[in-house]
Amino acid sequence: MEISAYLANDNLPQFLDTLRAFGTLHGPTLSESGVSLFAPLTSLDRLDLGYRRTQIPPKKYLFPFRDTFLEYRDGRYRFPSGDSKRTVLFGVHACDLEALAYLDQVFLSEPEDPRYAERRANLLLVGISCTPDDYCFCSEPAGSARCDLFLTEQQTGYLVQAESSAGASMLKAAAKLLVSAPPAPPRTPAPCVIPAQDPERAYSRDPLWDEFARSCVGCGACSACCPTCYCFDVRESTGLTGGGSRLREWDNCLFQSHGAVAGGNFRPGRVDRLRYRFLHKYCGFSPLQGRSSCVGCGRCKEVCPVDIDLRELIGKTAPEPGGGR
Amino acid sequence: MIANAAERHIPFAATLVGRRELSPDTALFRVAPEPAALEQLSGFLPGQFVQLSVPGGGEVPISPADLPGEDGTLELCVRRVGQVTGLLHQAAAGQPLALRGPFGTGFPVREMTGHPALLLAGGLGIAPLRSLLLHLLRHRDQYGEITLMYGAREPGLMLFRDELVGLAAAHGLRLYLTVDFAREQAAGAYACAIGLLPDLLKGFRFDAGESYVAVCGPPPLYRCLVGELTGAGVAPERVLLSLERRMRCGIGRCCHCAIGTKLCCTDGPVFRLSEVADIPEAL
Repeated sequence: MEISAYLANDNLPQFLDTLRAFGTLHGPTLSESGVSLFAPLTSLDRLDLGYRRTQIPPKKYLFPFRDTFLEYRDGRYRFPSGDSKRTVLFGVHACDLEALAYLDQVFLSEPEDPRYAERRANLLLVGISCTPDDYCFCSEPAGSARCDLFLTEQQTGYLVQAESSAGASMLKAAAKLLVSAPPAPPRTPAPCVIPAQDPERAYSRDPLWDEFARSCVGCGACSACCPTCYCFDVRESTGLTGGGSRLREWDNCLFQSHGAVAGGNFRPGRVDRLRYRFLHKYCGFSPLQGRSSCVGCGRCKEVCPVDIDLRELIGKTAPEPGGGR
Repeated sequence: MIANAAERHIPFAATLVGRRELSPDTALFRVAPEPAALEQLSGFLPGQFVQLSVPGGGEVPISPADLPGEDGTLELCVRRVGQVTGLLHQAAAGQPLALRGPFGTGFPVREMTGHPALLLAGGLGIAPLRSLLLHLLRHRDQYGEITLMYGAREPGLMLFRDELVGLAAAHGLRLYLTVDFAREQAAGAYACAIGLLPDLLKGFRFDAGESYVAVCGPPPLYRCLVGELTGAGVAPERVLLSLERRMRCGIGRCCHCAIGTKLCCTDGPVFRLSEVADIPEAL
C-alpha cells in the first residue's frame, strides 16, 4: 500500500470530501468576528488553509472547557455514557500535533483518563505544513508528533504522507485523486523548542520576575490559549430532580483561586503564580519533570495584553523565531 | 493497591455511620465504605489520604485519623472550613457519601522499625499523626521510644485529649501537650503546658541521631520546627513532613498541588525534609 502520494491543488476539495467518510470533518476556519478557530467544515468555503494559529488550540477536542466527568444517580457515581463521535481534524500544524502528543502522555499514562482516552480514540489527525510568522518560536518540529496523515505543501499541491494505518486507509479511499510520489523526507527530530529548564530558574532573583508581576493583569489568556496547558478544576452540582454531576473545567494558574485552600492560599502573589506557570511549562511536574511543554506555537505571545514573555527569563537559550517548516 | 484506572476516578459508595464532636468546628466521622473499597483500603499506610465525596457537594482530600477498622469503618477527622466540609458537618448517620483512595505516600513505618519516633502535631495536624501513632502503638515492640508533642491554640481546641492521655498511661507513650493561650488555672485543669510547640521542643532531650520525626500542622509550624530538628542533629531524611496543598484530583492530573516540580498528591503528602529542603516555597 502506498504510504505517500501527491495531491494536486485542484483535487483538494474532493479529497476533503473523501475524508468525511472517516468522521465529521473539522478544520481551521475564520469566524465572522475574525477569530481563527477549529470548527466543523460543513462547507469547504469555511476552510481557512492559510491560517497562522487558532485562538483556542485543538486540546478542546479531547479536553473540553467544561465537561461532565461523573454523574451521581441512584447512590453511585458513574462515568456519563460516552458521547464522543468520530472526528477528522484537518489542517493541524506540527506544533499543535506536538502539543497533542504531550497531552496524550499526560492523560493516557497510568491511570488512563477514560474520558480523554475515548475522545482520543475517536479523533483522526491530519497535519499540514505551515509558514511561521513573527509570533512563532518553533524550531523544526520533532518527528515524534503523532498524526494519521501529514500534508506538506508543494508548488501546485501537497505531498501526502500516511503516518498510521488509519492514514493509509484514507489514502486508499482517495486513491483516484492522488498520483504516486516518492515518500516525503522524514521529519527530522530536533531539540525541544524551549529546552527543559532547571527549576532553580523559577526562583531566581532576576528583577524581571517583579517587573512581570507588576504588569501582569492575571487574565490567564496565556494559559487558556496554550495547547499544552491542562490544569483543571473540579466542580459539583446537584440536579433539580436529585442526583448530580461532577464537572471538570479548565483552570488557570494565573488565577488567584488556583492556589486557594479552605484556610488560605499557597500562591497569594502574582509573582508566585507566574513562577508556578514557569515551573509547569518549562520544568515539568512529577512524572514529566525535566520536560518542557512549550511547542512554540506563539499563542501566549500573541494574546498577552501586556507583552509578557516568560521566555525572556530563560535568556539567550531560546532559538531565534521562525525556523519552522 | 488500587486495581484499575476507573477505580481511581470513580468514588466507591460509602455511608456515614456515626460522628463524635471533638471541638466546636471539628468532628470525627465514622464512614463505612462498600466492601470493594475496603479491599483497596487494606493497603492503607498512615499519612496517605482519601478523596471523600459528599454527593452533590464535591470532594475533599482527607487523611484518615486511623487505619481502617476491623468493623469495616474509617475514621475521618474533619474541620468545617469550606463548602464540602460544611455539608459533611450538617450530615447525620445514614447520609450517603463516597470515597476514593488511598492516595499518595504514607509514613515509612517499615523503615522506622527499631527507631525512636517523635511526632509533632499542631492543631488539626493531629489527624494524620493519630493514624501513625495508633499504628506505632499497635506494634509497640517494633519501635523505640514513642513521643507525641501536640500543640493546640487553646485548651478547648485540643482534639483527642482524653484518648491521648489514656494511650500514654497504657502504652508508655511520652505525651506532651501545650496550648498557645490559656489562663494558668485552665491549663492546669487540662494538664498541659502554655507555649508554642517549638519552645517545647527546645528543652526536649531525645536521641536525635536515631529518631524519626513526623510533623503535621499549619504551614508556619514547619518553618519553626525544621531548624530546631536539624539543629538538634536529626537527619533530613528522617524528618517526615505531611504537607497540605490544594489536591483536586488526587492522582497527579489537575496540577493544583505542585511543590516545586513535585506533586503533593502523588509524590507526597508525606515528604522527607531532604526532598523539599531546596524548594523555596515548600515550607
